[in-house]
Amino acid sequence: MSYVSLENSEPFLKCFEVLAEDKSCIVSDSVLYFSGKTGKGFITVAGIASGIEVLAVNLSQLTEDLTFHFQPSAGASSYLLCFDEIDVPGKGDSDLVLPQSAETSRQVHSTVSITDVIKGRTVTYPKDRIIRSLIVRVKRESLEQLIHDFDAGTISTILQSAGNEATLTWPITFKYRLLLNDFMAEIIQHPFRELFTIRNISILIEYLLQQFFVMNKLNRDGNSLSTQDTHSLSKVEQHLCLHYKKEFPGIEKLSRISAMSPTSLKTKFKKYYGETLFGYYQKNKLEHARKLLDNKVPVKVVATEIGYSNPSHFTLAFKKEYGFSPWHYLNPH
Amino acid sequence: MKSQHPVQTARALHWHQLQLPVGLQAAAIKISVDGLELVQPTFDPNGLVLTFINHKGDLYVRPAGRPQNEEQPASPGLGLLSLASQPLLYRSSAPILFSALVLYIPAAWIDLFLRDNVQFQKIGQTLEQEGNIITCRLGRRQMSLFSAALLLLQDNPQDTLSIQNNLLSLLEYFLCNRHRSLLGVNPSSDIDNEDDLTLIREVESYISEYYCSDTFTVDSILKKTYTSYHRLNFLFKSIHGMTISEYIRNKRIEKSKEMIADNAKSISQIAYEIGYSSISNYILAFKKVYQITPGKYKKQMDNMI
Repeated sequence: MSYVSLENSEPFLKCFEVLAEDKSCIVSDSVLYFSGKTGKGFITVAGIASGIEVLAVNLSQLTEDLTFHFQPSAGASSYLLCFDEIDVPGKGDSDLVLPQSAETSRQVHSTVSITDVIKGRTVTYPKDRIIRSLIVRVKRESLEQLIHDFDAGTISTILQSAGNEATLTWPITFKYRLLLNDFMAEIIQHPFRELFTIRNISILIEYLLQQFFVMNKLNRDGNSLSTQDTHSLSKVEQHLCLHYKKEFPGIEKLSRISAMSPTSLKTKFKKYYGETLFGYYQKNKLEHARKLLDNKVPVKVVATEIGYSNPSHFTLAFKKEYGFSPWHYLNPH
Repeated sequence: MKSQHPVQTARALHWHQLQLPVGLQAAAIKISVDGLELVQPTFDPNGLVLTFINHKGDLYVRPAGRPQNEEQPASPGLGLLSLASQPLLYRSSAPILFSALVLYIPAAWIDLFLRDNVQFQKIGQTLEQEGNIITCRLGRRQMSLFSAALLLLQDNPQDTLSIQNNLLSLLEYFLCNRHRSLLGVNPSSDIDNEDDLTLIREVESYISEYYCSDTFTVDSILKKTYTSYHRLNFLFKSIHGMTISEYIRNKRIEKSKEMIADNAKSISQIAYEIGYSSISNYILAFKKVYQITPGKYKKQMDNMI
């Protein structure tokens, strides 16, 4: 197991030194490529201006766990925002839900979290997984500056609402998944890296704030869920996200996956994700469709691609979601 | 202060301005007027201004302070990068529906995010060469970002983060697009405009080569370029303001007009040579374009001599 430990004052770039030695990786232009022997993919850092640092991890087939330890540092006023998407490889292709063995039931869920640097944080990326993750270290004032018009005390409120826990963890949603996917696909060869990064961070923070209001309401109403429930729900969420090309799996199948009763699954999912099961599935599906349309795929092909047998059904669904038809989306002038 | 109602005087035109958290400034306007003479809001002269415009009607742009004969026509759905020291002036003498989104990029911000970037330096150089304005056409995704940001700036200016995200996406798109066209590299599939323009250019050159042949049809273009009729028509409409068949007709008629002026061939001969199979079709088409029959035109030309 490889282990990287960082102090708050140390730049993210320092982890390259540790890893390059350890794993026979190739470092070029602030990107660290895994050679394939110990894993595939890359890690890259971007120190964008005004106190924001980003560590992007895009790895698969790790032969051993990879751990980043951010040492607690008293007096520092920074936050760590982690956006981790961790998938089991091959799961997207098979319809079977693998029974969770003792080993896989460890903390390997895709989450979004905020940590105060004072408390420190350890992030472990398990082996044999597909990992797409962004760790953002941001100075308090930078973060507040980034969102100042929106709601001044939001971040402190967020952390207060976490109570005594050092880390506030939320479920990941399809929006984050799509963004992480795009980010990893483009970051390395993007000609305007700093701009690209700040844009994506800004979007992530917008998502974070939107999600915060949902979660805050959940807590305030005294409806917070047990850890077991959140794990089950994130399994359902992942299933819905991965199988967007197929038909909606149906409430019964989902309730089997989550080991919950259909009724409680429905109500809890709605509370936790702010969407109904089908609504969530549909939104994700149409977001994929929109991306295809952006790539100039003809409407008919998009419809088939995301699993509609009839293009006009797709058009209707699209129109219902976005308020305009795919054709209209293609021809805005 | 919504600008939904027609505003008549230039003085009453109102820009919705907003300071973005990330350090940029934004301004937006949406108006419907009988005639337009509008200067961009002024910012600190050190910096760049990126403007996105969309309009229905004729519009001309020039940097304020330049003489009027330097102004250029602007097509709808355009991004313009200019120096903040030379705010742009928009002019229209006809009724126009005009919307614009201005993003001011201060020099300090450029230093932080872009100055060291080699690609950006190239863009800076082109900016100096190309008369201080760089333009780029917006694609469908960008148009939807544009309208969303415009709407938000007018109605929900407190939603700064969404506005910022839309504008940053637009800025990134603009720079990447310029970067690609500077490199001459094939644009990646998610950007349609460079593609579309190449397609149009290809079709135009194909047309100018074959438009006089009698076997030339629109279908043959479609087969050659693997596009659909509707798509090609849409592109032609947005760039030339006419359908593809109108474009071909105009080209043929223009050519025939030259041939009439040469006075070497009879009208029926000309009609066959430019690809018309019947003379009456040719006469109708000529009349549609020049509001005069070719025979009368020929007489006019004869009389002039």
